[in-house]
Amino acid sequence: MATVVQLPRLSDTMEEGVIAKWRIKVGDKVKRGQVIAEIETDKATMEFESFDSGVVLKLIATEGETLPLGAPIAVLGQAGESPDGASAGAGASVGASEPAAATPAAEASKPAAAAEASKPAAAVAEAAASSPEGQVAKDMSKKPAGDGARVPASPLARRLAREHDLELGEISGSGPHGRVVKADVDQAIAAAGKPPATAAAAGTSAAAAPVAAGTRSGGATAAAAVKSVGAATAEVDADGRPYVSRPARTIKLSQMRKTIVKRMGQSKREAPHIYLTTAIRMDRALAVRAEINAAVDGTKVSVNDLIVLACAKALRKHPKVNANYTEAGIVEHGDIHVGVAVALDDGLVVPVVRFAEQKSITAISRETRDLGLRPRPRSCARRRWRGAPSRSATSGCSAWRASWR
Amino acid sequence: MAILQIRQAIRDAMKEEMLRDERVFLMGEEVGHYNGAYKASEGLLEQFGARRVIDTPIVETGFAGVGIGAAMCGLRPIIEFMTFNFSAVAFDQILNNAAKIRHMTHGQFGVPIVFRGPNAAAHMLGSTHSQAFEPFYAHIPGLKVVAVATPYDAKGLLKSAIRDDNPVVFLEAELMYSVKGEVPDEEYTIPIGKADIKREGKHVTLITWGQAVPISLKTAELAAKEGIEVEVIDLRTLRPLDTDAILASVMKTNRAVVLFHGWPYGGVGCEVIARIQELAFDHLDAPVLRECYEDVPFPYAENLEHLCLPTPEKGLAAVKKVLYKR
Repeated sequence: MATVVQLPRLSDTMEEGVIAKWRIKVGDKVKRGQVIAEIETDKATMEFESFDSGVVLKLIATEGETLPLGAPIAVLGQAGESPDGASAGAGASVGASEPAAATPAAEASKPAAAAEASKPAAAVAEAAASSPEGQVAKDMSKKPAGDGARVPASPLARRLAREHDLELGEISGSGPHGRVVKADVDQAIAAAGKPPATAAAAGTSAAAAPVAAGTRSGGATAAAAVKSVGAATAEVDADGRPYVSRPARTIKLSQMRKTIVKRMGQSKREAPHIYLTTAIRMDRALAVRAEINAAVDGTKVSVNDLIVLACAKALRKHPKVNANYTEAGIVEHGDIHVGVAVALDDGLVVPVVRFAEQKSITAISRETRDLGLRPRPRSCARRRWRGAPSRSATSGCSAWRASWR
Repeated sequence: MAILQIRQAIRDAMKEEMLRDERVFLMGEEVGHYNGAYKASEGLLEQFGARRVIDTPIVETGFAGVGIGAAMCGLRPIIEFMTFNFSAVAFDQILNNAAKIRHMTHGQFGVPIVFRGPNAAAHMLGSTHSQAFEPFYAHIPGLKVVAVATPYDAKGLLKSAIRDDNPVVFLEAELMYSVKGEVPDEEYTIPIGKADIKREGKHVTLITWGQAVPISLKTAELAAKEGIEVEVIDLRTLRPLDTDAILASVMKTNRAVVLFHGWPYGGVGCEVIARIQELAFDHLDAPVLRECYEDVPFPYAENLEHLCLPTPEKGLAAVKKVLYKR
């Protein structure tokens, strides 16, 4: 019996996810516990270990696709088995969100005729778009992590987007790994109501006189120059010189940034903020730290580790602080989990030291280092991220940290 | 217009040039009494005599060197290697003398010589007799390298090679000597350094040469059945490379595949791709791919040989890949 693999909840706050990378392909044997995909959640890119065993019958989700929790992403079963029954079964819960992706294999034979008819006439530009993947990718109208980071795109697509003032990050890529290719840009140009003819013309005029190696179409260069310089405005300074206006730039938000925005706003709205500042003599703490680091080989306890431990101990002593407000009443948490904010190049993660008050300083140090340093490549084992920090614990911490700084 | 085999086109080119210029002579193993191992010099001994059609002992380094010396002294030798596999024995002569004499003597001596013979895999000759030499020779400044795939190109380019004042490595293919095609009756030459569009198309540029040209044309036929128009460019000359022809096509199609008989690592295919990415980067919609031998010593067993060779089907797969088609 074929099993549908659904998009798992990989963090407490995860509401949707992106298949960053498949680690399996159709026909592969998958064992329970095997990593089958890398999934970008609101927090990090995490490895997804299969709950089931079987042969991969179908990959439903494409890389880069944003999907809701529970969306079918793949079908496992026995070799030779048809994936369609399983897909249909699961379709009840999520089918509505992706009619195109649900049974492309099964319907391949029927719409093939239609696709075939349009094929010979279709320009090569649409070749990629007319492939099944292209279709699915487009229907999902998504784009993986823009976050201002580099968007995979072919050089030609990059140039066309530049020439048409289109943001590459806003164009969904139908190529491998979500690569934006010419067909995608052409479609975006068409959608923007600009004729793709100019691009074609630029291409052919360059092709017609390619003798001078690497010659670019002059128009494109000029356009680019104008854009970077900006335009004179009607507003002038005291000497009558116009101010130069430059266009704004929109940096696409990654899942992580979206989450940061959401949570920060939520935190400010829902919890009254108070800021406490106090001075603490750290001489003895620092001496202890030096002593531990000297005595225990391979240990490198940081000041931050001491603060985590101190917070944890303090919270045990003052449970009223380890609390948050709900409609039902004030919840005093029994467990003490301390979140440690770790800055990344393009965001922030908050790995959690669970049951912190029951851990030794060396254990905390080891863990924060593992959690803190490892997320930099944005990958982490799932278990470490479960159990979001008790919010009061975090805020308690930040008060103290303010004083330390 | 006559229909000739490539071997006849080569024979005619040599004959015409020997008639035209008495400094031209042919030298190699079995070129005279046996009429050439692949009958490319049929009748020449009879017509021109043993002073101008010279059978040599099996000593490539010797007769390659004699030819270079003769060229330095003002003659215009054609050196036939029974196959280019044996040119490896003469490699030092070609690399250090033929290619460098003009430079080393500040132009006091030139080496107007042609080294010709079949190149790359034929059929079940094993790894040591299936070598593809174009990467070695095209690598060397001072040499020109030509690879032909039709009787018309063979005749026109061989005549140009013989008239060239510099050493030219002229690559043929054992399995293509009997390929037929039209050859004009009147005198003509084809300039060295000019590629030829063997089939026009607008979707993908397929760059090829020598033995891989017919494979590429079949690839284009297969692709046409799926509505893909492949432009097949036969480089014909591997050094100097017709960069303009490559760029013009790639700028039109935005994607390219290089299909050739030879190994992937560090060869002419790499040079073609390097130039494309350097000079037409902003025109590329997909990475440029290669389709060629597997990166192993060429197998003897027929089944393995087939697995190793580029085929129209493999070519089609590469074409579809750069089109993002499955």
